[in-house]
Amino acid sequence: MNARASRSTARHVGELQRLQQQDEFRRALRALLLHPLMSSQHTEFFAVRRQAERLREWFAREAGWPLHVDREGARLFKRPTDLLDATRGLPDYDRRRYVLLCLACAVLERADPQITLQLLGERIMAEVADPALAALGYTFTLRSASERRELVTVCRTLLDHGVLERVAGDEQSFVHDSGWQQSDALYDVQRRLLAGLLAAVRGPSTWPTGEAPGNTEARLHALVTAHTADSEQGRRDALRHALARRLLDDPVLYTDTLTPDAQAYFFNQRGTMAARLCEATGLVAEQRAEGLALADASGQLTDVAMPAEGTDAHATLLVAEYLAQALRQTRAPLHVAEEEIAAFLRKAVDRYGRYWRKSARVPGAERELAQIVLERLQRLALIAREIDGVRPLPAIARFSLGEAEMRTTGISSQAALL
Amino acid sequence: MTTITATSTDLFRHVTADKAALYRAIMDVFAAAKRQYRLQLRPDEVLAGATWSGTPPAQEEVALALEQLAAWGNLESQPDMARVATLSDYYRARFLYRLSRGGEAVEIGLAAFEQTLRHRAELQTVALEDIDSRLRALHRLLGEDIVDVAKAHEVLRDLVRVLEDLAANAQTFMAGVARSLELQQADATTVAAYKRRLIEYLERFMGDLIRRSDTIARTLHELSTSIDTVLQLVAEREARDAAPGDADERVNEARRRHDAWRERWRGLRGWFLTNGGEPPQAELLRARARAAIPQLLGAISAVNERRSGRSDRSADFRMLAQWFAGCDSDDDAHRLARAAFALNPARHFSLDIQTDEDVPANVSWLDAPPLAINPRLREYGEAAPRGPLPRVRERNRERELMAQQLAEESSQVEAARRRLATGHPLRLSEIGELNAREFALFLGLLGEALAEQQNPDQTVERYTGDGLLHIRLEPMSWDSRAQLHTPAGVFSGRDHVLTICTTQEGA
Repeated sequence: MNARASRSTARHVGELQRLQQQDEFRRALRALLLHPLMSSQHTEFFAVRRQAERLREWFAREAGWPLHVDREGARLFKRPTDLLDATRGLPDYDRRRYVLLCLACAVLERADPQITLQLLGERIMAEVADPALAALGYTFTLRSASERRELVTVCRTLLDHGVLERVAGDEQSFVHDSGWQQSDALYDVQRRLLAGLLAAVRGPSTWPTGEAPGNTEARLHALVTAHTADSEQGRRDALRHALARRLLDDPVLYTDTLTPDAQAYFFNQRGTMAARLCEATGLVAEQRAEGLALADASGQLTDVAMPAEGTDAHATLLVAEYLAQALRQTRAPLHVAEEEIAAFLRKAVDRYGRYWRKSARVPGAERELAQIVLERLQRLALIAREIDGVRPLPAIARFSLGEAEMRTTGISSQAALL
Repeated sequence: MTTITATSTDLFRHVTADKAALYRAIMDVFAAAKRQYRLQLRPDEVLAGATWSGTPPAQEEVALALEQLAAWGNLESQPDMARVATLSDYYRARFLYRLSRGGEAVEIGLAAFEQTLRHRAELQTVALEDIDSRLRALHRLLGEDIVDVAKAHEVLRDLVRVLEDLAANAQTFMAGVARSLELQQADATTVAAYKRRLIEYLERFMGDLIRRSDTIARTLHELSTSIDTVLQLVAEREARDAAPGDADERVNEARRRHDAWRERWRGLRGWFLTNGGEPPQAELLRARARAAIPQLLGAISAVNERRSGRSDRSADFRMLAQWFAGCDSDDDAHRLARAAFALNPARHFSLDIQTDEDVPANVSWLDAPPLAINPRLREYGEAAPRGPLPRVRERNRERELMAQQLAEESSQVEAARRRLATGHPLRLSEIGELNAREFALFLGLLGEALAEQQNPDQTVERYTGDGLLHIRLEPMSWDSRAQLHTPAGVFSGRDHVLTICTTQEGA
């Protein structure tokens, strides 16, 4: 082989390596966006560790999100910009469970490297006796099945995030009334991940008694507000980070939700910004007059998929089309009553019902289905909930019914007839 | 110790008795006296000689304690016959005390016990050096014509002592590292200091071990042939020292000593040389020393972990629990949860809108093209059809056809190769007409050859990429022309002499 050929081969190999690096970086970045608290067991953890330095730099530069990576796990502190979005909490949680989760963490923080479910429960009960909590009317005993279920839910959350690792036993029978005192589970506490659970900029206990934020709004800001440099550059960075955080984490950024100076910055920078973010994440920018969405062609980078399979998802898709059509016709802010959506679904049963699950077909089920559908649409920022109704938001138009090309071959038309 | 009698347990009672401190102080005086070869002590000498913690006890108290110790068997007493100056002294029972045999044994035992407790896990680098130098000395001694048994004996005794020390130390080190108890409860600065010391130490020791154990092993190996006679001589010498007896007993004694020495020698060898399937002790020690480092790092990370987090996390969580409990609605709690935990995955629309042309940024979503949704998904809420899978198609016919085409193609290529790769020089202008297959091969070869050519007047020789053909291309004069007729048209250019040979015989 002559020198020229070997040079070109070398260049080729170098190029290949660069591409592999780029691919690994993208995989690691996407994995972190999906799992901001990642245990070392995660399939992409190896990639995250290898690309740690680049990732840390990227997240710090683009979104101002700190990233910690060590032997035991990785933590991306995804501080949110949109503090109004109530759809991004932990699934199946309510106020009581959040309190319980916090108390469980407080107990674990002080506990030995191992703990059992029973012991955790008992220690939490001791924490609940705190007068400050009692004054807020919070009670917790292990006596009722529902309370034990709450504890188990909290444990499962911690297990899911790798904070606890089950060593022996299981939580299943702990909930049942008979014999719950005999069933127990033993966990290892992963202290590093536990330490990463709280993402607050400032620890809630560090406020002096007089200055502690007194209501939920103040507390929300206390948790996420970081110091920004008081300079032109500092303010610009803060604006850019705020926008990038929403673009990376939220389905769509409507321009009219921005403050005037953020809007001005956004109009100037949205093109380059979207290109930069898309290049690194593999998302696709959808730039429209009303705002900007970074969509994921693979549909992996999301906790709520649309379109998706199944009755709920199908109904969601149909309602989205229905609302999109209405919005296209009026081309003005629109209020659609929930009744109307339920009625639409009632009719849809006749046409599509035979593919749906049985419980969704019975008369009256359309109300429940409508609630599920509207919640899904709300999560994706396709509608805004109003009193007794909804307001479709512009991006819902992407789900309008296009001219569907039904290429029916012999086989599939047969399947349709079946 | 074979049996523990009632009296021998009595000997230890003073350690656990109420006035243990007093008893120990007294016994220390006697142990010190023993070291100084003083045979017996009077009570007032005990009182004066002891180091008391706090105020010294009254003379009566000491006398009582001495009596008690004598009763337990730690001390022996005898009446004091010395002259006295006062009446009271005379009426008081006066005794002289000395350590009993049992008491002495207990003192030695307690001293050893204390030393072991205080013993730090350590590895001796000096020991290795000593072993090395002793072995060399032994080697030198054996090299002489007449072996000086006395010297050899001395060297061997030294060697055994050093090795015993080394082994004992290594044992404590291994046990100590395995426990790493010291680190578990230590605070951060101690750990950091200990870490530095231990790592430095291990580095030095392991370096020494690697460096020295090799030479030691070599010397041992060299000694192995001649050592037995020396051991024999040393054993005989020792037997002479032992208590006298008849000739038979002497021989037996000598054999016993010889066996003992051989055993020790085996032990020494076992430390540095492989013994059958077992790795040498030194290797084990090295492995353990190496394993000590990750253990140490683990202990350090545990300490760091305890320190991590600026605020008291437990208090943070408790305060946060109150904040959650103080929320007015579940929605507020969800918002607070996102801010506090930031565990939510990213959320994005799936599927991009497929358009041929980019949509300008100022187009409304209402006017932009909608999603291309799988019609099946849109119609049935399912992406894949229900029902049985489509039948697998038989593709034998296609395969046959493909095989046939491949065979045909390769035979054509073979024919083309035969036509061109004659092994004789051939002018391009003489080739004449080529069919499509032949022309393709010709172009390929020409391309490979020309890629090698630095300038148009250069003669090129090279093997094809697959290594099957050798090409030689020699340009002719500038004005020469060659024309090749092919089905695709006429190929013309400067004439060359082309020689193509196959590299494989009979191909």
